[in-house]
Amino acid sequence: MISLSYYIVFAISLYIIGLYCLATKRNMIRLVLGIEILMNAAHISFIAFAAYVSPGMVDPLAHSIVMVSIGLAGAVSAVGLTLVVYAYRHYGTLDVRELRRLKG
Amino acid sequence: MFPLPLEILLLFTVTTPAAGWAGEKLHRRSICALYAASGLTASGIALSQMFTQLSSGQPFPASNDTLFSAVFKVDTLGIFMATIFTVVGLAATIYSIKYMEKDSGTIIYYTLLMAMISGLTGIVFAGDLFTLYVFWELMSIASYVLVAFRKEEWEPVEAGFKYLMMSAAASATILFGLSLLYGMAGTLNFEGLAATLGSSPPNCWMYVAALFILVGFGVKTAVFPLHTWLPDAHSAAPTPVSALLSGVVIETGVYALTRTFFTAFASTETRLFILLASLSVLTMFVGNVTALLQNDLKRLLAYSSIGQVGYVLAGVAIGTELGLTGAVAHIFNHALMKGTAFLCAGAVVYKLGSRRLDEMSGVGRRMPVTAAVFAISLFALIGMPPLNGFASELTLVTAAVQADASWLGVALILNSVISAAFYLRVLRTLLQPVSSEKVEKTKEAPFLMLLPMCALAVLILIFGIWPDQLLRFAQQAASNLLGGR
Repeated sequence: MISLSYYIVFAISLYIIGLYCLATKRNMIRLVLGIEILMNAAHISFIAFAAYVSPGMVDPLAHSIVMVSIGLAGAVSAVGLTLVVYAYRHYGTLDVRELRRLKG
Repeated sequence: MFPLPLEILLLFTVTTPAAGWAGEKLHRRSICALYAASGLTASGIALSQMFTQLSSGQPFPASNDTLFSAVFKVDTLGIFMATIFTVVGLAATIYSIKYMEKDSGTIIYYTLLMAMISGLTGIVFAGDLFTLYVFWELMSIASYVLVAFRKEEWEPVEAGFKYLMMSAAASATILFGLSLLYGMAGTLNFEGLAATLGSSPPNCWMYVAALFILVGFGVKTAVFPLHTWLPDAHSAAPTPVSALLSGVVIETGVYALTRTFFTAFASTETRLFILLASLSVLTMFVGNVTALLQNDLKRLLAYSSIGQVGYVLAGVAIGTELGLTGAVAHIFNHALMKGTAFLCAGAVVYKLGSRRLDEMSGVGRRMPVTAAVFAISLFALIGMPPLNGFASELTLVTAAVQADASWLGVALILNSVISAAFYLRVLRTLLQPVSSEKVEKTKEAPFLMLLPMCALAVLILIFGIWPDQLLRFAQQAASNLLGGR
Protein backbone atom coordinates (compact mmCIF):
# COMPACT_ATOMS: atom_id res chain seq x y z
CA MET A 1 0.00 0.00 0.00
CA ILE A 2 1.31 3.42 -0.93
CA SER A 3 2.19 5.55 2.04
CA LEU A 4 -0.28 8.29 3.00
CA SER A 5 2.34 11.02 2.78
CA TYR A 6 2.48 10.76 -1.03
CA TYR A 7 -1.19 11.56 -1.22
CA ILE A 8 -0.83 14.50 1.12
CA VAL A 9 2.09 15.87 -0.86
CA PHE A 10 0.04 15.46 -4.04
CA ALA A 11 -2.99 17.23 -2.54
CA ILE A 12 -0.90 20.09 -1.21
CA SER A 13 0.91 20.54 -4.51
CA LEU A 14 -2.44 20.58 -6.30
CA TYR A 15 -3.56 23.25 -3.85
CA ILE A 16 -0.45 25.29 -4.59
CA ILE A 17 -1.04 24.91 -8.35
CA GLY A 18 -4.57 26.25 -7.82
CA LEU A 19 -3.28 29.24 -5.86
CA TYR A 20 -0.64 29.87 -8.54
CA CYS A 21 -3.36 29.82 -11.16
CA LEU A 22 -5.43 32.35 -9.18
CA ALA A 23 -2.45 34.61 -8.67
CA THR A 24 -1.02 34.69 -12.18
CA LYS A 25 -3.74 34.05 -14.74
CA ARG A 26 -5.56 36.96 -16.36
CA ASN A 27 -8.37 35.16 -18.12
CA MET A 28 -11.44 35.14 -15.89
CA ILE A 29 -12.51 31.66 -17.01
CA ARG A 30 -9.13 30.33 -15.98
CA LEU A 31 -9.64 31.91 -12.58
CA VAL A 32 -12.90 29.99 -12.19
CA LEU A 33 -11.01 26.82 -13.14
CA GLY A 34 -8.41 27.72 -10.52
CA ILE A 35 -11.14 27.61 -7.89
CA GLU A 36 -12.09 24.15 -9.16
CA ILE A 37 -8.49 22.98 -8.80
CA LEU A 38 -8.43 24.23 -5.22
CA MET A 39 -11.65 22.36 -4.42
CA ASN A 40 -10.32 19.18 -6.01
CA ALA A 41 -7.16 19.36 -3.94
CA ALA A 42 -9.34 19.27 -0.84
CA HIS A 43 -11.40 16.39 -2.27
CA ILE A 44 -8.31 14.30 -2.99
CA SER A 45 -7.08 14.89 0.52
CA PHE A 46 -10.44 13.74 1.94
CA ILE A 47 -10.48 10.59 -0.19
CA ALA A 48 -6.90 9.75 0.74
CA PHE A 49 -7.60 10.12 4.45
CA ALA A 50 -10.75 8.00 4.13
CA ALA A 51 -8.63 4.95 3.35
CA TYR A 52 -6.26 5.50 6.25
CA VAL A 53 -8.36 6.90 9.08
CA SER A 54 -9.66 3.53 10.28
CA PRO A 55 -7.39 0.63 9.38
CA GLY A 56 -8.85 -2.15 7.29
CA MET A 57 -11.81 -0.26 5.87
CA VAL A 58 -12.64 2.78 3.75
CA ASP A 59 -14.59 5.35 5.73
CA PRO A 60 -17.83 6.15 3.83
CA LEU A 61 -18.21 9.48 5.66
CA ALA A 62 -15.45 11.14 3.65
CA HIS A 63 -16.85 9.80 0.39
CA SER A 64 -20.29 11.23 1.09
CA ILE A 65 -18.67 14.53 2.07
CA VAL A 66 -16.80 14.66 -1.22
CA MET A 67 -19.93 13.77 -3.18
CA VAL A 68 -21.85 16.69 -1.65
CA SER A 69 -18.90 18.99 -2.03
CA ILE A 70 -18.51 18.26 -5.76
CA GLY A 71 -22.08 19.46 -6.19
CA LEU A 72 -21.31 22.63 -4.24
CA ALA A 73 -18.19 23.26 -6.34
CA GLY A 74 -20.32 22.92 -9.47
CA ALA A 75 -22.77 25.51 -8.14
CA VAL A 76 -19.96 27.93 -7.33
CA SER A 77 -18.44 27.66 -10.79
CA ALA A 78 -21.88 28.09 -12.37
CA VAL A 79 -22.32 31.38 -10.53
CA GLY A 80 -18.72 32.32 -11.35
CA LEU A 81 -19.15 31.71 -15.07
CA THR A 82 -22.41 33.68 -15.06
CA LEU A 83 -20.58 36.63 -13.56
CA VAL A 84 -17.85 36.22 -16.19
CA VAL A 85 -20.51 36.50 -18.90
CA TYR A 86 -21.90 39.70 -17.39
CA ALA A 87 -18.43 41.12 -16.87
CA TYR A 88 -17.68 40.39 -20.51
CA ARG A 89 -20.80 42.27 -21.57
CA HIS A 90 -19.76 45.33 -19.55
CA TYR A 91 -16.04 45.39 -20.24
CA GLY A 92 -15.81 43.66 -23.60
CA THR A 93 -12.85 41.58 -22.48
CA LEU A 94 -12.06 38.55 -20.35
CA ASP A 95 -8.89 40.14 -18.98
CA VAL A 96 -9.29 40.44 -15.23
CA ARG A 97 -6.85 43.36 -15.08
CA GLU A 98 -9.48 45.52 -16.73
CA LEU A 99 -11.72 45.07 -13.67
CA ARG A 100 -9.96 47.84 -11.83
CA ARG A 101 -12.53 50.58 -11.71
CA LEU A 102 -13.36 50.15 -8.03
CA LYS A 103 -10.84 51.92 -5.86
CA GLY A 104 -10.33 53.16 -2.33
CA MET B 1 -34.81 16.19 10.30
CA PHE B 2 -33.74 19.79 10.77
CA PRO B 3 -34.42 21.95 13.82
CA LEU B 4 -37.84 23.57 13.46
CA PRO B 5 -36.78 27.21 12.73
CA LEU B 6 -34.41 26.03 10.01
CA GLU B 7 -37.04 23.76 8.55
CA ILE B 8 -39.52 26.63 8.33
CA LEU B 9 -36.93 28.85 6.66
CA LEU B 10 -35.99 26.22 4.09
CA LEU B 11 -39.65 25.50 3.35
CA PHE B 12 -40.32 29.19 2.77
CA THR B 13 -37.18 29.51 0.64
CA VAL B 14 -38.40 26.79 -1.67
CA THR B 15 -41.96 28.11 -1.87
CA THR B 16 -41.15 31.82 -2.25
CA PRO B 17 -41.01 31.60 -6.08
CA ALA B 18 -44.57 30.19 -6.09
CA ALA B 19 -45.76 33.06 -3.91
CA GLY B 20 -43.96 35.51 -6.17
CA TRP B 21 -45.58 33.99 -9.24
CA ALA B 22 -49.03 34.27 -7.64
CA GLY B 23 -48.20 37.87 -6.75
CA GLU B 24 -47.29 38.69 -10.36
CA LYS B 25 -50.57 37.18 -11.52
CA LEU B 26 -52.53 39.28 -9.03
CA HIS B 27 -50.44 42.39 -9.83
CA ARG B 28 -49.38 42.71 -6.21
CA ARG B 29 -45.61 42.41 -6.24
CA SER B 30 -45.33 42.92 -2.49
CA ILE B 31 -46.98 39.53 -1.86
CA CYS B 32 -43.61 37.86 -2.43
CA ALA B 33 -41.88 40.04 0.16
CA LEU B 34 -44.71 39.63 2.65
CA TYR B 35 -44.56 35.87 2.18
CA ALA B 36 -40.82 35.88 2.89
CA ALA B 37 -41.36 38.14 5.90
CA SER B 38 -44.04 35.83 7.27
CA GLY B 39 -41.61 32.93 6.92
CA LEU B 40 -39.04 34.81 8.96
CA THR B 41 -41.66 35.67 11.58
CA ALA B 42 -42.74 32.04 11.85
CA SER B 43 -39.14 30.97 12.25
CA GLY B 44 -38.67 33.65 14.92
CA ILE B 45 -41.63 32.27 16.88
CA ALA B 46 -40.22 28.74 16.62
CA LEU B 47 -36.89 30.10 17.86
CA SER B 48 -38.46 31.72 20.91
CA GLN B 49 -40.19 28.44 21.75
CA MET B 50 -36.88 26.63 21.46
CA PHE B 51 -35.34 29.20 23.77
CA THR B 52 -37.95 28.74 26.47
CA GLN B 53 -37.50 24.99 26.14
CA LEU B 54 -33.75 25.34 26.47
CA SER B 55 -33.87 27.73 29.42
CA SER B 56 -36.31 25.50 31.30
CA GLY B 57 -33.67 22.78 31.03
CA GLN B 58 -35.62 20.34 28.90
CA PRO B 59 -33.42 18.45 26.45
CA PHE B 60 -34.25 18.61 22.77
CA PRO B 61 -35.47 15.45 21.11
CA ALA B 62 -32.21 13.93 19.92
CA SER B 63 -31.63 14.19 16.19
CA ASN B 64 -31.18 10.88 14.47
CA ASP B 65 -27.40 10.76 14.48
CA THR B 66 -26.86 8.20 11.79
CA LEU B 67 -23.65 8.35 9.81
CA PHE B 68 -25.11 9.95 6.71
CA SER B 69 -27.52 12.49 8.12
CA ALA B 70 -26.78 16.14 8.71
CA VAL B 71 -25.86 16.63 12.35
CA PHE B 72 -27.42 19.46 14.30
CA LYS B 73 -26.79 20.54 17.82
CA VAL B 74 -28.74 23.53 19.08
CA ASP B 75 -27.34 25.40 22.07
CA THR B 76 -27.70 28.86 23.59
CA LEU B 77 -25.08 30.39 21.31
CA GLY B 78 -26.83 29.00 18.25
CA ILE B 79 -30.21 30.35 19.32
CA PHE B 80 -28.62 33.69 20.19
CA MET B 81 -27.07 34.03 16.73
CA ALA B 82 -30.18 32.78 14.94
CA THR B 83 -32.25 35.43 16.73
CA ILE B 84 -29.96 38.13 15.31
CA PHE B 85 -30.30 36.75 11.80
CA THR B 86 -34.07 36.63 12.04
CA VAL B 87 -34.37 40.20 13.38
CA VAL B 88 -32.02 41.81 10.87
CA GLY B 89 -33.32 39.61 8.06
CA LEU B 90 -36.92 40.62 8.78
CA ALA B 91 -35.96 44.30 8.80
CA ALA B 92 -34.08 43.93 5.51
CA THR B 93 -36.97 42.06 3.88
CA ILE B 94 -39.56 44.69 4.81
CA TYR B 95 -37.17 47.43 3.75
CA SER B 96 -36.68 45.75 0.37
CA ILE B 97 -40.38 46.11 -0.54
CA LYS B 98 -39.89 49.78 -1.32
CA TYR B 99 -36.19 49.75 -2.09
CA MET B 100 -36.35 47.04 -4.77
CA GLU B 101 -39.66 48.28 -6.17
CA LYS B 102 -38.21 49.39 -9.52
CA ASP B 103 -35.97 46.36 -10.06
CA SER B 104 -36.96 43.41 -12.17
CA GLY B 105 -36.56 39.86 -10.92
CA THR B 106 -37.57 40.58 -7.34
CA ILE B 107 -38.88 37.01 -7.00
CA ILE B 108 -35.34 35.70 -7.36
CA TYR B 109 -34.15 38.42 -5.01
CA TYR B 110 -36.44 37.35 -2.15
CA THR B 111 -35.74 33.68 -2.76
CA LEU B 112 -32.00 34.32 -2.52
CA LEU B 113 -32.48 36.48 0.56
CA MET B 114 -34.36 33.65 2.26
CA ALA B 115 -31.73 31.14 1.07
CA MET B 116 -29.00 33.31 2.59
CA ILE B 117 -30.82 33.57 5.93
CA SER B 118 -31.48 29.81 6.00
CA GLY B 119 -27.81 29.23 5.27
CA LEU B 120 -26.85 31.51 8.16
CA THR B 121 -29.25 29.77 10.53
CA GLY B 122 -27.96 26.38 9.42
CA ILE B 123 -24.38 27.45 10.17
CA VAL B 124 -25.15 28.27 13.77
CA PHE B 125 -27.23 25.13 14.35
CA ALA B 126 -24.70 22.77 12.79
CA GLY B 127 -23.31 20.06 15.02
CA ASP B 128 -20.46 19.02 12.80
CA LEU B 129 -18.05 20.88 10.61
CA PHE B 130 -19.22 19.48 7.32
CA THR B 131 -22.86 20.43 7.95
CA LEU B 132 -21.50 23.85 8.80
CA TYR B 133 -19.58 23.88 5.52
CA VAL B 134 -22.63 22.95 3.42
CA PHE B 135 -24.72 25.73 4.94
CA TRP B 136 -21.73 28.04 4.61
CA GLU B 137 -21.76 27.42 0.86
CA LEU B 138 -25.53 27.93 0.72
CA MET B 139 -25.06 31.32 2.36
CA SER B 140 -22.04 32.19 0.21
CA ILE B 141 -23.55 31.30 -3.14
CA ALA B 142 -26.72 33.22 -2.34
CA SER B 143 -24.64 36.22 -1.31
CA TYR B 144 -22.51 36.20 -4.50
CA VAL B 145 -25.64 36.46 -6.60
CA LEU B 146 -27.17 39.08 -4.30
CA VAL B 147 -24.07 41.29 -4.47
CA ALA B 148 -24.17 41.19 -8.28
CA PHE B 149 -27.96 41.45 -8.37
CA ARG B 150 -28.10 44.68 -10.39
CA LYS B 151 -26.25 43.07 -13.25
CA GLU B 152 -27.01 45.85 -15.72
CA GLU B 153 -24.51 48.13 -13.92
CA TRP B 154 -20.78 47.52 -14.04
CA GLU B 155 -20.04 48.11 -10.36
CA PRO B 156 -22.00 45.19 -8.81
CA VAL B 157 -20.67 42.78 -11.43
CA GLU B 158 -17.06 43.73 -10.79
CA ALA B 159 -17.52 43.66 -7.01
CA GLY B 160 -19.41 40.38 -7.23
CA PHE B 161 -16.69 38.72 -9.27
CA LYS B 162 -13.98 39.90 -6.90
CA TYR B 163 -16.03 38.70 -3.94
CA LEU B 164 -16.70 35.33 -5.56
CA MET B 165 -13.04 34.73 -6.37
CA MET B 166 -11.76 35.47 -2.88
CA SER B 167 -14.62 33.84 -1.07
CA ALA B 168 -14.69 30.66 -3.16
CA ALA B 169 -10.93 30.25 -2.79
CA ALA B 170 -11.48 30.69 0.94
CA SER B 171 -14.18 28.01 0.94
CA ALA B 172 -11.79 25.59 -0.76
CA THR B 173 -9.19 26.46 1.85
CA ILE B 174 -11.66 25.72 4.62
CA LEU B 175 -12.45 22.37 3.01
CA PHE B 176 -8.75 21.53 2.85
CA GLY B 177 -8.38 22.41 6.51
CA LEU B 178 -11.38 20.23 7.32
CA SER B 179 -9.82 17.31 5.45
CA LEU B 180 -6.69 17.64 7.59
CA LEU B 181 -8.82 17.75 10.74
CA TYR B 182 -10.70 14.70 9.53
CA GLY B 183 -7.44 12.89 8.88
CA MET B 184 -6.26 13.57 12.41
CA ALA B 185 -9.46 12.93 14.32
CA GLY B 186 -11.45 10.59 12.05
CA THR B 187 -14.57 12.68 12.63
CA LEU B 188 -15.81 16.20 12.04
CA ASN B 189 -18.33 16.25 14.86
CA PHE B 190 -17.66 19.11 17.29
CA GLU B 191 -17.92 16.83 20.31
CA GLY B 192 -15.71 14.23 18.69
CA LEU B 193 -13.14 16.84 17.74
CA ALA B 194 -13.12 18.28 21.24
CA ALA B 195 -12.67 14.79 22.70
CA THR B 196 -9.86 13.67 20.39
CA LEU B 197 -7.92 16.78 19.39
CA GLY B 198 -8.96 19.27 22.05
CA SER B 199 -7.26 17.39 24.85
CA SER B 200 -4.19 16.00 23.06
CA PRO B 201 -0.94 17.99 22.88
CA PRO B 202 -0.70 19.99 19.66
CA ASN B 203 1.48 18.72 16.85
CA CYS B 204 2.61 20.56 13.74
CA TRP B 205 -0.31 19.35 11.57
CA MET B 206 -2.70 20.92 14.03
CA TYR B 207 -1.08 24.28 13.34
CA VAL B 208 -1.27 23.69 9.59
CA ALA B 209 -4.96 22.85 9.84
CA ALA B 210 -5.53 25.84 12.13
CA LEU B 211 -3.81 28.08 9.61
CA PHE B 212 -5.95 26.79 6.73
CA ILE B 213 -9.14 27.28 8.71
CA LEU B 214 -8.08 30.70 10.01
CA VAL B 215 -7.33 31.90 6.48
CA GLY B 216 -10.55 30.40 5.12
CA PHE B 217 -12.90 31.90 7.67
CA GLY B 218 -10.72 35.01 7.84
CA VAL B 219 -11.59 35.97 4.28
CA LYS B 220 -15.32 36.00 5.04
CA THR B 221 -14.65 37.82 8.30
CA ALA B 222 -12.42 40.37 6.52
CA VAL B 223 -9.42 39.97 8.81
CA PHE B 224 -6.75 42.48 7.87
CA PRO B 225 -4.74 41.21 4.91
CA LEU B 226 -7.78 39.42 3.48
CA HIS B 227 -10.28 42.27 3.68
CA THR B 228 -9.89 43.79 0.22
CA TRP B 229 -13.13 42.42 -1.24
CA LEU B 230 -15.34 43.74 1.56
CA PRO B 231 -15.65 47.47 0.79
CA ASP B 232 -16.38 46.75 -2.88
CA ALA B 233 -18.94 44.03 -2.29
CA HIS B 234 -20.69 45.74 0.61
CA SER B 235 -21.03 49.06 -1.16
CA ALA B 236 -22.05 47.65 -4.55
CA ALA B 237 -24.77 45.35 -3.21
CA PRO B 238 -28.38 46.58 -2.89
CA THR B 239 -28.62 48.30 0.50
CA PRO B 240 -30.78 45.72 2.35
CA VAL B 241 -28.24 43.11 1.29
CA SER B 242 -25.37 45.31 2.47
CA ALA B 243 -27.09 45.59 5.83
CA LEU B 244 -27.26 41.81 6.05
CA LEU B 245 -23.72 41.28 4.75
CA SER B 246 -22.15 43.83 7.06
CA GLY B 247 -24.29 43.19 10.08
CA VAL B 248 -24.60 39.44 9.96
CA VAL B 249 -22.59 37.54 7.36
CA ILE B 250 -19.13 38.71 8.43
CA GLU B 251 -19.99 37.87 12.03
CA THR B 252 -20.74 34.32 10.96
CA GLY B 253 -17.10 33.98 10.04
CA VAL B 254 -16.16 34.95 13.60
CA TYR B 255 -18.72 32.47 14.91
CA ALA B 256 -17.33 29.59 12.83
CA LEU B 257 -13.78 30.52 13.80
CA THR B 258 -14.72 30.59 17.47
CA ARG B 259 -16.55 27.29 17.28
CA THR B 260 -13.63 25.45 15.68
CA PHE B 261 -10.97 27.12 17.79
CA PHE B 262 -12.66 26.34 21.07
CA THR B 263 -13.31 22.70 20.21
CA ALA B 264 -10.71 21.29 17.83
CA PHE B 265 -7.88 23.69 18.55
CA ALA B 266 -8.47 24.18 22.26
CA SER B 267 -4.99 22.89 23.04
CA THR B 268 -3.25 25.36 20.72
CA GLU B 269 -5.20 28.30 22.03
CA THR B 270 -2.46 29.96 24.10
CA ARG B 271 -0.08 30.15 21.14
CA LEU B 272 -2.78 31.33 18.79
CA PHE B 273 -3.68 34.11 21.23
CA ILE B 274 -0.82 36.36 20.09
CA LEU B 275 -1.62 35.73 16.42
CA LEU B 276 -5.34 36.41 16.80
CA ALA B 277 -4.78 39.41 19.06
CA SER B 278 -2.31 41.08 16.71
CA LEU B 279 -4.56 40.35 13.72
CA SER B 280 -7.48 41.90 15.55
CA VAL B 281 -5.53 45.06 16.38
CA LEU B 282 -4.32 45.38 12.78
CA THR B 283 -7.85 44.81 11.50
CA MET B 284 -9.25 47.53 13.76
CA PHE B 285 -6.64 50.07 12.77
CA VAL B 286 -6.78 49.36 9.04
CA GLY B 287 -10.58 49.43 8.99
CA ASN B 288 -10.99 52.59 11.00
CA VAL B 289 -8.11 54.58 9.50
CA THR B 290 -9.12 53.76 5.92
CA ALA B 291 -12.70 54.72 6.73
CA LEU B 292 -11.42 58.20 7.57
CA LEU B 293 -10.38 58.70 3.94
CA GLN B 294 -13.64 57.67 2.28
CA ASN B 295 -15.99 59.96 0.45
CA ASP B 296 -18.56 57.29 -0.39
CA LEU B 297 -21.09 56.78 2.41
CA LYS B 298 -21.56 53.05 1.90
CA ARG B 299 -17.83 52.42 1.51
CA LEU B 300 -17.23 54.32 4.73
CA LEU B 301 -19.71 52.12 6.57
CA ALA B 302 -18.17 49.01 4.98
CA TYR B 303 -14.69 49.96 6.18
CA SER B 304 -16.02 50.68 9.64
CA SER B 305 -17.42 47.13 9.62
CA ILE B 306 -13.86 45.87 9.26
CA GLY B 307 -12.95 47.92 12.32
CA GLN B 308 -15.87 46.51 14.30
CA VAL B 309 -14.91 42.95 13.36
CA GLY B 310 -11.53 43.74 14.87
CA TYR B 311 -13.25 44.47 18.22
CA VAL B 312 -15.11 41.15 18.11
CA LEU B 313 -11.92 39.27 17.22
CA ALA B 314 -10.17 40.91 20.17
CA GLY B 315 -12.82 39.38 22.43
CA VAL B 316 -12.29 35.97 20.84
CA ALA B 317 -8.51 36.29 21.16
CA ILE B 318 -8.78 37.04 24.89
CA GLY B 319 -10.67 33.77 25.18
CA THR B 320 -11.83 34.10 28.78
CA GLU B 321 -15.52 33.85 29.59
CA LEU B 322 -15.79 37.63 29.95
CA GLY B 323 -13.98 38.19 26.64
CA LEU B 324 -16.30 35.83 24.81
CA THR B 325 -19.31 37.43 26.49
CA GLY B 326 -18.17 40.78 25.15
CA ALA B 327 -17.54 39.32 21.71
CA VAL B 328 -20.94 37.64 21.50
CA ALA B 329 -22.74 40.72 22.81
CA HIS B 330 -20.84 42.90 20.38
CA ILE B 331 -21.83 40.62 17.50
CA PHE B 332 -25.47 41.17 18.47
CA ASN B 333 -25.05 44.91 18.92
CA HIS B 334 -23.04 45.34 15.78
CA ALA B 335 -25.73 43.57 13.76
CA LEU B 336 -28.32 46.03 15.10
CA MET B 337 -26.16 49.15 14.78
CA LYS B 338 -24.61 48.47 11.39
CA GLY B 339 -27.91 47.14 10.05
CA THR B 340 -29.63 50.40 11.03
CA ALA B 341 -26.77 52.54 9.72
CA PHE B 342 -26.80 50.80 6.35
CA LEU B 343 -30.58 51.00 6.06
CA CYS B 344 -30.45 54.75 6.81
CA ALA B 345 -27.63 55.26 4.32
CA GLY B 346 -29.74 53.34 1.81
CA ALA B 347 -32.72 55.62 2.45
CA VAL B 348 -30.55 58.68 1.79
CA VAL B 349 -29.09 57.12 -1.37
CA TYR B 350 -32.56 56.05 -2.52
CA LYS B 351 -33.96 59.55 -2.20
CA LEU B 352 -30.90 61.54 -3.26
CA GLY B 353 -29.51 59.23 -5.94
CA SER B 354 -25.90 59.72 -4.90
CA ARG B 355 -23.56 57.98 -2.50
CA ARG B 356 -21.00 60.77 -2.33
CA LEU B 357 -20.70 62.44 1.03
CA ASP B 358 -19.85 65.89 -0.41
CA GLU B 359 -23.13 65.95 -2.35
CA MET B 360 -25.06 65.06 0.78
CA SER B 361 -24.65 68.17 2.87
CA GLY B 362 -27.91 69.12 4.46
CA VAL B 363 -29.88 66.02 3.59
CA GLY B 364 -30.63 65.54 7.27
CA ARG B 365 -32.66 68.74 7.29
CA ARG B 366 -34.88 67.40 4.52
CA MET B 367 -35.14 63.86 5.99
CA PRO B 368 -35.44 64.47 9.73
CA VAL B 369 -36.61 61.00 10.80
CA THR B 370 -33.89 59.24 8.81
CA ALA B 371 -31.29 61.63 10.20
CA ALA B 372 -32.44 61.03 13.78
CA VAL B 373 -32.32 57.25 13.38
CA PHE B 374 -28.97 57.52 11.61
CA ALA B 375 -27.64 59.60 14.50
CA ILE B 376 -28.75 56.97 17.02
CA SER B 377 -27.00 54.19 15.12
CA LEU B 378 -23.82 56.22 14.61
CA PHE B 379 -23.63 57.19 18.28
CA ALA B 380 -24.13 53.54 19.17
CA LEU B 381 -21.29 52.56 16.82
CA ILE B 382 -18.99 55.07 18.50
CA GLY B 383 -19.94 53.58 21.86
CA MET B 384 -21.82 56.41 23.54
CA PRO B 385 -23.03 55.40 27.02
CA PRO B 386 -26.81 55.20 26.82
CA LEU B 387 -26.70 53.09 23.63
CA ASN B 388 -25.96 49.43 23.14
CA GLY B 389 -22.46 49.70 21.66
CA PHE B 390 -21.18 51.01 24.97
CA ALA B 391 -22.10 47.97 27.04
CA SER B 392 -20.36 45.45 24.83
CA GLU B 393 -17.28 47.58 24.16
CA LEU B 394 -16.91 48.17 27.88
CA THR B 395 -17.15 44.42 28.48
CA LEU B 396 -14.44 43.82 25.89
CA VAL B 397 -12.11 46.40 27.45
CA THR B 398 -12.70 45.02 30.95
CA ALA B 399 -11.99 41.51 29.72
CA ALA B 400 -8.76 42.66 28.09
CA VAL B 401 -7.56 44.31 31.27
CA GLN B 402 -8.51 41.31 33.43
CA ALA B 403 -6.67 38.94 31.11
CA ASP B 404 -3.43 40.95 31.44
CA ALA B 405 -3.66 42.19 27.89
CA SER B 406 -4.18 45.87 28.59
CA TRP B 407 -2.61 46.78 25.25
CA LEU B 408 -5.65 45.22 23.57
CA GLY B 409 -7.93 47.35 25.71
CA VAL B 410 -5.92 50.46 24.87
CA ALA B 411 -6.14 49.64 21.16
CA LEU B 412 -9.91 49.22 21.50
CA ILE B 413 -10.37 52.59 23.18
CA LEU B 414 -8.04 54.29 20.70
CA ASN B 415 -10.06 52.86 17.84
CA SER B 416 -13.32 54.05 19.33
CA VAL B 417 -11.84 57.55 19.26
CA ILE B 418 -10.65 57.22 15.66
CA SER B 419 -14.03 55.86 14.60
CA ALA B 420 -15.77 58.81 16.29
CA ALA B 421 -13.94 61.08 13.84
CA PHE B 422 -15.57 59.67 10.74
CA TYR B 423 -18.95 58.82 12.23
CA LEU B 424 -19.30 62.38 13.44
CA ARG B 425 -18.17 63.63 10.03
CA VAL B 426 -21.14 61.82 8.48
CA LEU B 427 -23.46 63.43 11.01
CA ARG B 428 -22.00 66.89 10.40
CA THR B 429 -22.48 66.48 6.66
CA LEU B 430 -26.09 65.49 7.15
CA LEU B 431 -26.82 68.50 9.37
CA GLN B 432 -25.01 71.20 7.40
CA PRO B 433 -27.12 73.92 5.82
CA VAL B 434 -28.72 72.81 2.57
CA SER B 435 -26.38 73.67 -0.30
CA SER B 436 -27.54 72.23 -3.60
CA GLU B 437 -30.73 72.18 -5.60
CA LYS B 438 -30.75 68.38 -5.57
CA VAL B 439 -30.79 68.22 -1.77
CA GLU B 440 -33.45 70.92 -1.65
CA LYS B 441 -35.87 68.67 -3.52
CA THR B 442 -35.22 65.59 -1.39
CA LYS B 443 -38.15 64.30 0.67
CA GLU B 444 -38.46 62.02 3.69
CA ALA B 445 -38.12 58.29 2.97
CA PRO B 446 -41.35 56.28 2.50
CA PHE B 447 -43.04 54.66 5.50
CA LEU B 448 -42.11 51.08 4.59
CA MET B 449 -38.44 52.04 4.73
CA LEU B 450 -38.77 54.05 7.94
CA LEU B 451 -40.56 51.23 9.75
CA PRO B 452 -37.69 48.68 9.92
CA MET B 453 -35.17 51.47 10.55
CA CYS B 454 -37.13 52.83 13.50
CA ALA B 455 -37.79 49.34 14.86
CA LEU B 456 -34.05 48.57 14.88
CA ALA B 457 -33.30 51.97 16.43
CA VAL B 458 -35.77 51.26 19.23
CA LEU B 459 -33.97 47.95 19.84
CA ILE B 460 -30.66 49.84 20.01
CA LEU B 461 -32.13 52.13 22.67
CA ILE B 462 -33.70 49.26 24.64
CA PHE B 463 -30.53 47.18 24.73
CA GLY B 464 -28.53 50.32 25.49
CA ILE B 465 -30.56 51.29 28.51
CA TRP B 466 -31.17 47.76 29.82
CA PRO B 467 -28.16 45.71 28.69
CA ASP B 468 -28.37 43.24 31.62
CA GLN B 469 -30.65 40.79 29.85
CA LEU B 470 -28.49 40.80 26.73
CA LEU B 471 -25.25 40.39 28.66
CA ARG B 472 -26.69 37.52 30.71
CA PHE B 473 -27.78 35.79 27.52
CA ALA B 474 -24.34 36.43 25.99
CA GLN B 475 -22.64 35.10 29.09
CA GLN B 476 -24.71 31.91 28.93
CA ALA B 477 -23.70 31.51 25.30
CA ALA B 478 -20.02 32.11 26.15
CA SER B 479 -19.92 29.62 29.01
CA ASN B 480 -21.72 27.20 26.73
CA LEU B 481 -18.93 27.58 24.21
CA LEU B 482 -16.19 27.14 26.80
CA GLY B 483 -18.01 24.22 28.39
CA GLY B 484 -18.11 22.49 25.05
CA ARG B 485 -14.45 21.59 25.31
